[in-house]
Amino acid sequence: MKKFLSLTLALACCASVFAGCGGASSSAPAASSAASSGSAPAEIRVVTSYGGDDGNRVNFENAVKAYEEATGNTVVDESATSNEQWKAQVKADFQTGSEPDVLFFFTGVDANEFIKNNKVVSIEEIRKEYPEYASNMKDGMLPASPADLKQYAVPVNGYWEGMFVNKTVLKDCGLEPPTAETTWEEFMAMCKTIKEKGYTPIACSLAEVPHYWFEFCILNQGDPSQHVEVPASATDAAGQRWAAGLNQIKEMYEAGCFPTNTLTATDADTFQLMADNKAAFAIDGSWKVGWFAGSDDAAGAVENLDDYTVTYVPGMGERKSTDIVAGLSMGYYITRSAWEDPARRDAAVAFVEAMTTDEVVNTFAGGTPTALKSGMTKPENPNSMQLAAIDMVNGATGSAPAVQDSLNATARKQLFASIKDIVTGSVKAEDAIQTALDTPLADEDK
Amino acid sequence: MNAMIYKKKWPLILFLTPTFLFLTVYLYYPFLMNVWNSFNRIGGMGEASRGLNNPPYENYVKMFKDPLMSTAIKNTLILMALTVVIQVGLALILALLVDQIKFGSQFFRTVYFFPIVISATALGLLFNLIFLYDGGMLNQLLTNIGLITENIDWKDPSHFFGTLMMPVIWQYVGFYFVIIVTGLNNISTDIYEAAEIDGASGLGRIRYITLPLLHNTLCTCLILAITGALKVFDLPWTMFPGGMPLDGSWLTGTYMYYQTMEMADVDYGSAIAVMIVVLGVVISQLANYIFKEKDY
Repeated sequence: MKKFLSLTLALACCASVFAGCGGASSSAPAASSAASSGSAPAEIRVVTSYGGDDGNRVNFENAVKAYEEATGNTVVDESATSNEQWKAQVKADFQTGSEPDVLFFFTGVDANEFIKNNKVVSIEEIRKEYPEYASNMKDGMLPASPADLKQYAVPVNGYWEGMFVNKTVLKDCGLEPPTAETTWEEFMAMCKTIKEKGYTPIACSLAEVPHYWFEFCILNQGDPSQHVEVPASATDAAGQRWAAGLNQIKEMYEAGCFPTNTLTATDADTFQLMADNKAAFAIDGSWKVGWFAGSDDAAGAVENLDDYTVTYVPGMGERKSTDIVAGLSMGYYITRSAWEDPARRDAAVAFVEAMTTDEVVNTFAGGTPTALKSGMTKPENPNSMQLAAIDMVNGATGSAPAVQDSLNATARKQLFASIKDIVTGSVKAEDAIQTALDTPLADEDK
Repeated sequence: MNAMIYKKKWPLILFLTPTFLFLTVYLYYPFLMNVWNSFNRIGGMGEASRGLNNPPYENYVKMFKDPLMSTAIKNTLILMALTVVIQVGLALILALLVDQIKFGSQFFRTVYFFPIVISATALGLLFNLIFLYDGGMLNQLLTNIGLITENIDWKDPSHFFGTLMMPVIWQYVGFYFVIIVTGLNNISTDIYEAAEIDGASGLGRIRYITLPLLHNTLCTCLILAITGALKVFDLPWTMFPGGMPLDGSWLTGTYMYYQTMEMADVDYGSAIAVMIVVLGVVISQLANYIFKEKDY
């Protein structure tokens, strides 16, 4: 009896170890048969950046629900907040063969790897089977990949980066919000006054998100046409502009413009200073409007939206204050794995088409640039911040896309990680730039 | 009948094979691949090797020149020492105290063990709120009782080490506490009774009976503490991501993750992982040698 029991238990253990392998192989035919049936509703995996506290999260969820009801397809939504970790996760998904069917992702060098590896389908290829695909978009505004200059992604809403202003703090300091005419020198004088009054002039975590000040301080060293240039070395013209920009951040740090704990705080910690009326300014993107204003089902982070506004980041030198950072940096990709499965192909194409109709794009855009042939429309019942944003974008004298999107991801991480060392003086800006450009593996996308 | 089972080896082999296969597939093979990867050039998780590094041992040379790796090893060794002294020491004191009481000992066992069942990430977020600069519990408390007039940045270069070590050490006190309590339960009460009749004091009983008989248990705790300190990751990463402040808080575990997942330098991350294993084996063998287990 004991022998029998021993044998049974041992076999059960062996069976449990190999159970996973058996399960995996048996599921493949089932998937194939579902695909071949064609008419059956399909399930697609979708990854976007409309998760977390994104201002368009509710709009996205509503659009997905409408798509599911209209088509009978099911969407497995794996959206998250866009940050460096999310980008790395998306990249890892492609590397391990677990990419989604539809991906809403950046169109710059971040996408180079999966484009080079033929993991996504170009719009040209899709249009051979679906001629109306993205036909409501201006072809010239569909972003071309820096990897092969082909168009892959269908954009929804563009973005702008601007300076959010706490009017309550400024009023207490006897100051007016900066305008299109405010110069850099005047802005720094404002920061000094704010600091003397006991407030934090600029809410920013240099430890976590120095990205926005990096953009504008570099833009300050040239003009929008030069802003897209990525240096080949720290000593060339672009490299010198970057070094000057980084040194400008250092000057601001030394002048006490940033929070006391800017080198140890998170972005959320420092932005909370805006909501708590403890900080006067913060640079962020169009997506941050949702944080201030809230949405249909969630309150904004601030008590009274009208106490805040958004305006131009004051400029210096050749750059006018009205030159802004803006563009169309993200779009919907259809992956090769979805394209090669007829059922998921139809569902994926229908999904992207549903997410990029004029109506949906206008709901998402909220006054940001779009590639729609019908042009940009104002949002319905805009709030005071959206109106200020529309005024800012309409009044822009020039715009440039964020240069960091043209920088190889490894080099970008290395450079942003060294900003703390630059501002504390332990590393020179030129050395940090050169180290970032020389970072091993950073040459992959050059 | 029992003797028959051991004479025939095949039932033993049948029982051992599944575990052996599991460990081979999920531990030894990945470990060997990790060693191999550390000599290759790999630019992202799941990416195939782009060939051998030039020279193949490049990552190991880089590791010895990398100042952040030095910081990580230094911090890890300090954490290890503090873990052994404070974590195991505190667990020993608590276990001895709880062993002395009859009423409520079960309550204290549960209370001290409780931090173990909370996820390290949740604890990290909890301690982030406690040590928050603006509106954090500790700063509010100190301000309200008049000890400080300006908030303290508990994560700045002059405070971060205590802020990092305190929750990490606190988290696992309960783990060693339970092991030591179990060890104490294994000591026969007859010995204590005999000592009491001979006039031994409370401290004397601990010094001459409890501690010597706990020697093997404490050795086990020591090895677990040493290897555990090398693997600490989640709580420090939640509280001090990216080695903040100013790259001062790196531990071997967090630095390996940063290189592998954030910098996509998978081969260098693999080399750091090999270093962690080597450190673990060498230090635990050293500890084994110094505090040899005894047969009683």
